[in-house]
Amino acid sequence: METSSKNYDFLIIGAGGTGLAAAMYSARLGLKTLVLGKSQGSELPIGGVITTTNLVENYPGFIKLTGTELAEKIEKHARSYDLVTIKEEKAEKVSKKGKCFEVKTEKEVYVAKSILFATGTKWKKLDVPGSKEFENKGVNYCALCDGPLFKNKIVGLVGGSDSAAKDALVLAEHAKKVYIIYRGEKIHPEPINLKRVEENKKIEVINNTNVVEIKGEQFVNEVVLDKEYKKSKTLKLDGLFVAIGHIFLSSLAKDFGVKTNKAGEIITDKICATNVPGIFAAGDVSDGAFKQLITGVADGCTAAHSAYEYIGNVGGEDC
Amino acid sequence: MTVKVYSTPTCPWCKKVKAFLKENNVKFTDVDVSSDEKASAEMIKKSGQMGVPVIDVNGTILVGFDEAKLKEALKI
Repeated sequence: METSSKNYDFLIIGAGGTGLAAAMYSARLGLKTLVLGKSQGSELPIGGVITTTNLVENYPGFIKLTGTELAEKIEKHARSYDLVTIKEEKAEKVSKKGKCFEVKTEKEVYVAKSILFATGTKWKKLDVPGSKEFENKGVNYCALCDGPLFKNKIVGLVGGSDSAAKDALVLAEHAKKVYIIYRGEKIHPEPINLKRVEENKKIEVINNTNVVEIKGEQFVNEVVLDKEYKKSKTLKLDGLFVAIGHIFLSSLAKDFGVKTNKAGEIITDKICATNVPGIFAAGDVSDGAFKQLITGVADGCTAAHSAYEYIGNVGGEDC
Repeated sequence: MTVKVYSTPTCPWCKKVKAFLKENNVKFTDVDVSSDEKASAEMIKKSGQMGVPVIDVNGTILVGFDEAKLKEALKI
């Protein structure tokens, strides 16, 4: 391959923990690597979704640190290799170019021998009357960012996952009361976070219940529930946070012919390969069973190694 | 030119805005709305919403980090 600044061995789309870890490893393997770091729809900066996590306690080597601190360390590690370039450009189209691939951004066209989709996810929005009207006017999606604005207020949190529980715990640091409103039988965070929620006197869990409408004037002042809670279908709230899961950002891959499952996750095998030779996927956008930074980082490294093997075996010639 | 950034310490986009302003040698006042309730109320009044970051560039209010709009407001 010619050594043009637009030609790379390995091009990674997405600069969350997964993409940055993959870049660190591909550089170790001698691959000239480009990371396209502008959000592919997650509306998150470099570092990705972990930057919205308050405390990370499940990443080996660090007993406890903030998500932003960890993201900065991973980014710094990737940038410490001369072979890694990170550009804040958004990939708009992927196409085939001979034995290689072409990735078009809003600024440039790059050519690479292998590609990794580490595009992650974005928050699923709550779709009930009032949810759009009151977005950022009481309906918020980032507890870590906007939670401090609800000091001594009453807030709700829709969701029942581990992320939802962690968000509720962040909110409880600021608000005087936090209601977790969950549609299922029982919230299902990791046991350590369930215990924290149960022990937190500010948090009250309302199970088997949906928010069906959000009401207010300039800002949210109440929500309507689909069943009575303490003899009322309305709940007075100053804010409603939402943690109801994620949408997989796989459309760019799908448009290129990469197979996805019904949920929209990119289908991968044990070495993070997709159905298209030379195209790999890792992290939250892929169909792994357990999605944490630690698993995304591991997948990213596996994908980098798989790309290295692929380039050695198949795509070593000029593009 | 007066530039004021309303932020919280834990918000990733707030860090991004402040890094951008520093890179471009723009002097700004950073207000932590998580510890300053008066500033929090001021931000909500100015922007009509409750999300950070909010940037006040000489009275032009920007919500979130939109590099193009911020550059336009800063005339850089």
